[in-house]
Amino acid sequence: MFIFDKLSILFVFLIMLGVVPNLFYSFGYLPHIKRKVHYLVHYFGFIISMLGVVVAGNALVFLLFWELMSLTSWQLILTEIEDKSTIKAARFYFFMTHFGFVFLLLFFLIVTNGNLEIDFNSMKIIASNFAYPTLLFFFAVLGLLSKAGVVPMHVWLPYAHPAAPSPVSALMSGVMLKVAIYGLFRFLFDILSDWQLEWGVLILILGAISSLVGVLYALSEHDIKALLANHSIENIGIILLGFGMGMIFLSLKLPTLSAFAFMAALFHSFNHMSFKSLLFMGAGSVLHQTKTKNMEKYGGLIKAMPITAFTFLLASISISALPPTNGFLSEWMIFQSLLGSASIDNISLKLAIPFSVFALALTGGLAIACFVKVFGITFLGLHRSTNAKHAHEVNAMMKTGMILMSLVVVSLMLFTPFYMKLFDGVTGQLLHISIYNKIFPNIWSMHSISDNGGIVSPLILLAGLIVLTLSIYAIYKSLNIKDRVYHTWACGYNTSAKTQYSATGFAGPIRRFFTWLYNPDEHFEKEVIAGHKTKFKDASFSVHVRPLFERSLYQSSVKWTNKMSYYVYRLAHFEQSRYAAMIFNILLSVLFSYRIFVHEFSWATLALESVVMIISIKVLLIGDKK
Amino acid sequence: MILYIFSILLLIFLAPLMPSFMKMVKMYLLYKKPISIFQGYRDFSKLLSKEIIISKETSAITRIAPFLVLSPLLLTLFFLPPIVSGEYYVSFVDAFTITGLISLSTFFLMLLGLDSASSFGGLGSSREAFISALVEPAMILTLFSVSMMAKNLGIGQAGINLSLHFPSSHIASFIFAGISFFILLIAENGRIPVDNPETHLELTMVHEAMILDLSGFYLLLIESAGSIKFIIFASIFVSLFVPFGLNLPIVSAILVFIAKLFIVAIAVALLEVNIAKLRLFKVPNLLGIAIVFAFLSLITFYVLGA
Repeated sequence: MFIFDKLSILFVFLIMLGVVPNLFYSFGYLPHIKRKVHYLVHYFGFIISMLGVVVAGNALVFLLFWELMSLTSWQLILTEIEDKSTIKAARFYFFMTHFGFVFLLLFFLIVTNGNLEIDFNSMKIIASNFAYPTLLFFFAVLGLLSKAGVVPMHVWLPYAHPAAPSPVSALMSGVMLKVAIYGLFRFLFDILSDWQLEWGVLILILGAISSLVGVLYALSEHDIKALLANHSIENIGIILLGFGMGMIFLSLKLPTLSAFAFMAALFHSFNHMSFKSLLFMGAGSVLHQTKTKNMEKYGGLIKAMPITAFTFLLASISISALPPTNGFLSEWMIFQSLLGSASIDNISLKLAIPFSVFALALTGGLAIACFVKVFGITFLGLHRSTNAKHAHEVNAMMKTGMILMSLVVVSLMLFTPFYMKLFDGVTGQLLHISIYNKIFPNIWSMHSISDNGGIVSPLILLAGLIVLTLSIYAIYKSLNIKDRVYHTWACGYNTSAKTQYSATGFAGPIRRFFTWLYNPDEHFEKEVIAGHKTKFKDASFSVHVRPLFERSLYQSSVKWTNKMSYYVYRLAHFEQSRYAAMIFNILLSVLFSYRIFVHEFSWATLALESVVMIISIKVLLIGDKK
Repeated sequence: MILYIFSILLLIFLAPLMPSFMKMVKMYLLYKKPISIFQGYRDFSKLLSKEIIISKETSAITRIAPFLVLSPLLLTLFFLPPIVSGEYYVSFVDAFTITGLISLSTFFLMLLGLDSASSFGGLGSSREAFISALVEPAMILTLFSVSMMAKNLGIGQAGINLSLHFPSSHIASFIFAGISFFILLIAENGRIPVDNPETHLELTMVHEAMILDLSGFYLLLIESAGSIKFIIFASIFVSLFVPFGLNLPIVSAILVFIAKLFIVAIAVALLEVNIAKLRLFKVPNLLGIAIVFAFLSLITFYVLGA
C-alpha cells in the first residue's frame, strides 16, 4: 500500500524541507486570515496529501492522495474569498487539475487492468504487454505535467498562485510542483519500461519552451506573485531539460551521462523548492505590508524591511543562477549534461541540442534581468505609495520562516556533496549505477561526467569571493575616507518617486524586442498644454500583455465551442421538415461512406458523392440565408 | 606559483592602462593631442583622495554593491589561462563559472543603478539587463564550441591545449567562434557599437548611467571593475583565439602576451573610430550575429568537422 524506497524518501525529505519553514511563516500569517479553521484544516490536509502521494504504493492510494492534494489546494486558494478574481482563479485551477486527473485515471486504468490495488511491479508487467506504450506516455505526460505547469498547460499558474495566501503559494509552487516531478520519475522508471528516444526529445522540447515562455511572461508581469508563478513555469522547464536529457541518454545507452542528467534534475528540484518558497514568503511579507500585489506601488522597502529584503536578495541571486549559489550549481549541471550531447552519434539530435543550450542560456540571462527588476523595483529607490512608505518589518514568526528557508538555500549551497550523495542513491536505485565518486572525487570540486566536461568548486568560489570582498573592504576602511550624504543628482531636477524607473519601464526594451510574442495592449494618454505635442502636464501609460497560449489555445477553443454550440442550438429549433431533411442527409452520408470506405474506393465516386452531399446539405438543411 | 602570482599582478597592473591606451589611439587617429597612457592611474589616484558622496535616497545596497561588483571580477583574474608555459593555472573552475562570475558582477551593477532612485540609473540598468540577457546565449554557445576544439571546458587547460595543438583541422569553426567572441568582448565591455563609454548623453549611455551617482572610492571600485573586465575578456580572447607564443622563453612569452593584449586594444579602438554607435534596438542585431556565428561554429564542427 505504501512504498518507502529511496525515491520516495528523497521526496519526503524535499517536502519536509519545504514545509517546516513554511509552518512558521504560516502561523505568523494566520492572524490575517479570516477563516482560520478552514485554512488550517486544508493546510494540514494539503501537506499530508502531498506526503501521501510520494509514498503511495499502489494506484488507488496514489490517486486518492493526488485528488486530495488538488482539492485541498483548491480550497486553500479560496481562503480569501472576498475577491472576485479569486473565485475565477480557483475555478480555473479546479478545471485544470481535474483535466490532468482524468488522464492519470486513464493511465492507471490501463496499466492496472482495472485492479487499482496492485503494486508498481505488477503494473510494469501489464504496461510492457500493452500494445501502445506511447499512448501511456502521453497520458502520464498530460496528467502530471498539467500539474507541474508545463507549457501549454501552464496557464493556471499565474492565476492560482497570486490568489492563494502567500504561505500556500510558497507550498504550491515550491513543493506541489515537485510532486508532479516525482510522479514523472515514478511512472517512467517503475511503470513504463523501454522508452523510445522520441519521449525524451519531447520532454526536452517541452522543457526548453517552458523555460523561455515562463521567463518572458515573468518579465512582463507587474503582479509580484504572478511573476513568481511564471518563474515556476521557467524552473519546471529547466528541470525538464535535465530530465529530458537523462531520458535521451538512457535511450541511447549512455547510463553515466543519464544518471548525471537525472541528478541535475533532482538537484534543481530541491533548489527551486528552496528559493521559490523563500521568494514567495518574501513577496507575501511585502504584500502583507503594502496591501497590494502591484509592483508599481512598491519601492524603498529595504530600509523598512531589511530581513525580508536580504533573504529575498539571496533567493534572487540563487534563482538567477549566479555563482556560487545552489541555483548556479544545478543549472551548471544541466548545462554540462546538455554539453554531453557531443558524445551522441545521432547527428540530427546532436545538432538539435545546441538549441536547448541556447534556450537555457537565454533563460538564464532573462532571469537575471527579471530579478534585477523585482528586487530593484520592490526594495530599492523611493516608495511609490503611502502603504510602502509606512511599511515595517513583519512579525517574528514570519521572519523565522524566511530565515529558516534561507538556511535551506545556504545548506544546499554549502553541503552540495551531501545532497549529491542522496541523489546518487536515488539514481543508483533507478539506473543501477553510482557516479558520486566521479562527480565529487573530493568535496572541494564538482566534476562533469561528459567528455571535455567542466569542473566547478563552489566552496572555493564562495571563500574566494568572501576573502576578496573583505580585503577590498579592509583597504577601504584603512584609507579612512570621509563620506557625505546628499541628494541624488538628477540634472538639477528633484528626485521623486514618480521620476524613478517603473517596472513597466524597466522591462520596456525586452518587451519591445519580443513584441511578436507579447502582443501588448498599450494605452498612452496625455493632457497636452496648448496643443504642443511634447508639452504635457499629466500623462498615463499602461501596458497589458495578452498571453499567447491563453489566447490561442484556451480562449480560441472557448470561442469555437461557443460557435459549435450555437449551431447545435439552432439544430434544436428546427421545424419538422428540416429534421426530415437531416435524417435523409445522414442516411445518404452513411450509404456513401459505406460505399467509399468499406466497399470500394475510387476518387471519382468520392468527388461525385461529396458534391451530391454538399448540394443536398445546402439545399435541404441550411436553406437560404435570411 | 611565483609566475602565477606575477601574471595576476601583471594583469592588474595592465588593466588601467588599457582604456587609456584605447582612448590614446582613438585621439591620435582623430588628430587630437593624445592623452597619456597613464591617465587611468591618474584618475584612480584622484578618486582615492576624494570624499564619497552618497545620495540620501539610497539604501545599504549602495554601500555593499561596489565591493561585490569588483570582487567577482578580481576572482576571475585568478582563473585565467596561463601566459607562460609551465605556469600554474587553476584547473578546478571552468568557463561557465567565469561567465557566471561576470554576470554576478553585472547583477550588482544593475542593482546599483536602481538604488539611487534617479531615472538615469533605472535607464542604464534596464538597457544593461536587455543587452546582457542577449549576450548570455552567444557566450555559452561560443564556449561550448571552443571547449570541443580545445578538448576541455576549463579555460586554463583549454588555452594550453590550443597552443600545443592548434586546431588547424577545425579552422572554420575556430574562426567563427573567434568572431562571435570578439563581438561579445565589445558588447560586454560597453565599447562603441553597443555603448559609448565617453559620453553622458541620456540617449546613448548604458554603463555610465548606472554609476552616475557614485563618487570617490566607490566610483574607483566600479571603474577598476570596468578595466579589469576588459582585461579579462582580452586575455581570454588572446589565449584562446590567438594561442601563440606560450612556449617561448619566459620573458619573451610575457612580452608577446602583452603585445597581443595591446593589439586587441588597437583593434577595438580602430573599430570605435570607424563605426557609429548603434541604436539600442539595433544592438540585438549585432548580438544576433554573434549568436549565429556561435551556432555556425558548432554546426561546422559537428557536420563538416572543419
